[in-house]
Amino acid sequence: MSSPIPDPIKEGLARGWKVLGGGLGALPATLECDVVIVGSGAGAGITAELLAKAGLKLVIVEEGPLRSSSDFRQREAEAYSTLYQEAGARKTADQAMPVLQGRCVGGSTTVNWAGAFRTPGDTLDFWVERYGLNEASPAAMVPWFEQVERRLNISEWLTEPNPNNDALRRGALKLGIEAPNAKRNVKGCWNLGSCGLGCPTNAKQSMLVTTIPAALDLGATLLVQTRAEKLELAGNEVQALICQPVQLNGDAAGAPVRIKARHYVVAGGAINSPALLMRSGAPDPHKLLGRRTFLHPTVASSSVMPDPVKGWAGAPLSVFSDHFEHVSPIDGPISYKLEVAPVHPGFAMTNLGGLGPAMAARTQQFPHISIFIGLLRDGFHPEAGGGTVSLKSDGSPVLDYKLTDFLMDGARRAHLTMVELQFAAGAKTVRPAHEMARDYVSWKEAQEAIKTLPYQPYLTTVGSAHVMGGCNMAADSARGVVRPDGQHWQIANLSVHDGSLLPTSIGANPQVSIYSQAARVGTALAKRLSGKAVALA
Amino acid sequence: MKRRSLLKLGIGAAVVLGVAGAGVALMRPALVNGKFSTDVHALMRAVAEGVLDGLLPVDASARSARLSVQLAQLETTIAGLPAATRSELSQLLALLATGAGRFGLVGLTSDWASASAAEVREGLSAMGASSIGLRQQVYHALRDLNTLVFFNDPSSWALVGYPGPREIAV
Repeated sequence: MSSPIPDPIKEGLARGWKVLGGGLGALPATLECDVVIVGSGAGAGITAELLAKAGLKLVIVEEGPLRSSSDFRQREAEAYSTLYQEAGARKTADQAMPVLQGRCVGGSTTVNWAGAFRTPGDTLDFWVERYGLNEASPAAMVPWFEQVERRLNISEWLTEPNPNNDALRRGALKLGIEAPNAKRNVKGCWNLGSCGLGCPTNAKQSMLVTTIPAALDLGATLLVQTRAEKLELAGNEVQALICQPVQLNGDAAGAPVRIKARHYVVAGGAINSPALLMRSGAPDPHKLLGRRTFLHPTVASSSVMPDPVKGWAGAPLSVFSDHFEHVSPIDGPISYKLEVAPVHPGFAMTNLGGLGPAMAARTQQFPHISIFIGLLRDGFHPEAGGGTVSLKSDGSPVLDYKLTDFLMDGARRAHLTMVELQFAAGAKTVRPAHEMARDYVSWKEAQEAIKTLPYQPYLTTVGSAHVMGGCNMAADSARGVVRPDGQHWQIANLSVHDGSLLPTSIGANPQVSIYSQAARVGTALAKRLSGKAVALA
Repeated sequence: MKRRSLLKLGIGAAVVLGVAGAGVALMRPALVNGKFSTDVHALMRAVAEGVLDGLLPVDASARSARLSVQLAQLETTIAGLPAATRSELSQLLALLATGAGRFGLVGLTSDWASASAAEVREGLSAMGASSIGLRQQVYHALRDLNTLVFFNDPSSWALVGYPGPREIAV
């Protein structure tokens, strides 16, 4: 299949971008640079552009492959196995929650659903109050949000929502709940609906097509299919980063590479970044590293609508409701954000549960299925304290995250809300994603059933696509792994610039929160290392 | 197979079920050069048939051909997983391929090759509804892997009325 869409990555490679590894060029045994950046996702991408603009010599290290628009064929099988962490099979330690996280050039920004929300003000207020992050107050963050929004073409999605999103809009309108249009980071979007599988038209303004190309045009070197294995520490300094070239499945592929730099930026994403520091034996005097890792545990409810929904087509996330994030105090019973999930065959049939005959019945209704999701806002209450990263015997990370009764109470309430909205939107039947739930024909029947269902892990379908925390920033070393400017509290030439910085979950899809924090700390780091003032936009 | 690595998988719970002692002694490698061993192939075929019963072709030879495709795609998918996950899955499948593992975890009295799709489905269903975390983990590992692989395959798209991705080629 020949695509009429130009591929900016193939064009950049033809222009002479320095990209090595993964069959694109042999990796040398050693490299030297001003700054090495681990990762190429939201935090890494923004940092790379800023540091490259400051004239610093960069090496960017990405564990996943370089794939671009001409590779993105909108096939679930290809996307999950090549673009996601652990081939799409990452799970929490007890296997109760799948964790979708990108692992490719652009990281999760290459595969997210393009929902672009600013960090809610009450989340930032909480960080100021509990973590002393005055630099990240709602007022202080405004200029950073504005720069990110300009750079990534973020604006409200004014195209008619697809029927899946329209069901949420309709239900909310009926019940008098606010459900506005989402903002999206797109330019010339074709409204295909394949955001989660890699954008085949380069419309999504992910790091893959924005900041990483900008850094490469300014001379940065990108190593792909290269895993950051270990930082060599001496005293309070990093001496080098040792990297291992890997195959797509993570198996070793060749001799290690030793990279020496003045400064080291760790931005491999939550779970991975704390794991790299753990493998390196980084000091952790207050036992904070890898702790408080948050997931926005996400529950789902599927409905059968009278008209076709074709939930695979059209912008996957264009309507949302924050109503239930504001009905109680932020540190009260857990709140949730409402969105919808795209309905692709593999993802939807797997997550809606059941065996043979139950699935066979569902296939008949598939084009009419609409799926709502509720994202629980963890991290603001002692019983939603997040999970803890540890290392398996081979050094790979695993997140132990307990689905507490406090969280499962939120799951039940989110199910009740979603089911009510789905019936209000005209659903013929609704089934919350729970192994023991049935297709209910009325709100009353569903409500009674949900009140008696056992809300336990495994029985209740819970997943995550947002990983946050584990190297949190704070105003003093007793409360955080890194300083408010991203600099590690104990190691002089090491910073963390990714979602692991966040002290709690966000209460919204986190990409803009990560971009904005990376813009803030990246701009300061560029000034500190080069003496030059640079700006993202 | 070392008892220590079994415990890491969480199969410590298998001791409670009384299967580990008997099972471990009889376990053989589940994956050989990325392919299922003969025992595990029979197990995975039976599991696929149990999970997908009602979705597979009715005609015997078409059904058999579709299952062969499913098994080959399961092998490819597993080969793409990280080493730690491959190893955990391999241990689990090796345990399930033993009589003790099959009976202790799935509650299946017939061996895999002779169990009917309905028997396997009932066994899986009981695991999914179990109060034992390990049995629920095994249920989801087998059920989710088979479902994802099956519906990711373009030949299954007609079943759900999915026309496939919108073409962008000129």
